[in-house]
Amino acid sequence: MSRAVRLIAFFAAALVCLPLILAGLRGLPAFGQHTNPYGDAVNAQGEALRHVTNMVAAVNFDIRGIDTLGEEFILFTAVTGVVMLLRGARGEARSADPSEILHRRREGRSEAVTGLGRWVAPTTLVFGLYVILHGQLTPGGGFQGGVIVAASALLVYFGEGYAAWRLIVHSTALDVLEACGVAIYLVVGLVPLFTGGSYLENVLPLGEVGSMLSGGIIPILNVAVGMAVIGGFCTIALEFLEETRQPKEDDE
Amino acid sequence: MSILPYLVAGWLFLVGLYGIVTSRNYVHAIGCLTVIQSSTYVLLLSVGYRSGLGAPIFSDHPPGPAADPVLQALVLTDIVVGAAVSALLLSLALQLQKKRGSINPDDLQPARD
Amino acid sequence: MTVLIAILLLILAVTSLGVVLTREPRRQAIAMGANGLVLGLLFLAFQAPDAAYSEIVIGGLILPLLFMVALSTLRTTGKKK
Repeated sequence: MSRAVRLIAFFAAALVCLPLILAGLRGLPAFGQHTNPYGDAVNAQGEALRHVTNMVAAVNFDIRGIDTLGEEFILFTAVTGVVMLLRGARGEARSADPSEILHRRREGRSEAVTGLGRWVAPTTLVFGLYVILHGQLTPGGGFQGGVIVAASALLVYFGEGYAAWRLIVHSTALDVLEACGVAIYLVVGLVPLFTGGSYLENVLPLGEVGSMLSGGIIPILNVAVGMAVIGGFCTIALEFLEETRQPKEDDE
Repeated sequence: MSILPYLVAGWLFLVGLYGIVTSRNYVHAIGCLTVIQSSTYVLLLSVGYRSGLGAPIFSDHPPGPAADPVLQALVLTDIVVGAAVSALLLSLALQLQKKRGSINPDDLQPARD
Repeated sequence: MTVLIAILLLILAVTSLGVVLTREPRRQAIAMGANGLVLGLLFLAFQAPDAAYSEIVIGGLILPLLFMVALSTLRTTGKKK
């Protein structure tokens, strides 16, 4: 299909769909006036029933925990796909040994970037761990904290260069981290089955509202998702950065 | 005013689709796909918004009416998972460049072998 | 509050158009970063701090960086041919 045909098809389809979209939009609840009985019930009773103060975490990891399990599998599958496509085509051997690329040419970085990176990367790491661990109390949780920790690892790459990045990030450790994250989620869900409960039922003691160990399985699942997200995103970054290496002469 | 967020969500979808249709580079098309993804976030969050009420987080005040936590939970997981899927698409584009030497959709004919 | 949301929505409409119309992929990565930050601020105004967290980190840092890295790879593989 040529470009012109494609454009004409797009505008024709847009013209046909536009009235439908507008009609659909008119049927939506007025902005700011929406009432969802499910969400209202969670807001009203969530804290009393689950002893957590972040209702989004309560929905994510307890009330609709099975959906989040599906999301985590999507993440896992996508990361596996990236690894298979990139590492599979490159060959396992070349990415195995970081020492051989320690002498890779260091791009010109200003000292300000390096210095700032040394301050900001550890701070970001601590903040990310804080966000994961306090997911049931304040905004945050495994997904957000996981990407913040992964971002702190990337800040090391920004500040120190590729060799330092490879020294702190080991692909085996990341694989273990990610697999353990998904496995913990699955196992925590399975445990209630042995006591006659249903999958992902919150059987642990709920603890005191506002403490870090409140919410039963919610903090555990937060940490599990955090591990999977850290492992997943660091693996993705690692595989993409590996790709930028110029292959050595005798590599192929 | 009350329909503006929905209009913007529709606008994001159409603009992103236009970008994909006219794209000459798969990496650019993936960037446009992230715009389409963001249209779903804007739609879901604007449906869940309640004017005059706060976020569904009660760490410093007693529980009461607030924005819809169900829709926010949907969006927050999808943002993270969507980024991983974008990475998967990017790695497909890299493979395409290696195998066929181009990432322009117009250059690529169906493989014959 | 609604004025803030309206302004952010209009900015978002412009930045998303910027992402689509920036045909040069390296510049598009920067445009995506700006778009992600505006989205994050909008989510904050929508009373969704959880979603804002993930959007600011993903849209503002991780996605643009992935695109940049992928583009530098494409450049080196292009040279080889």
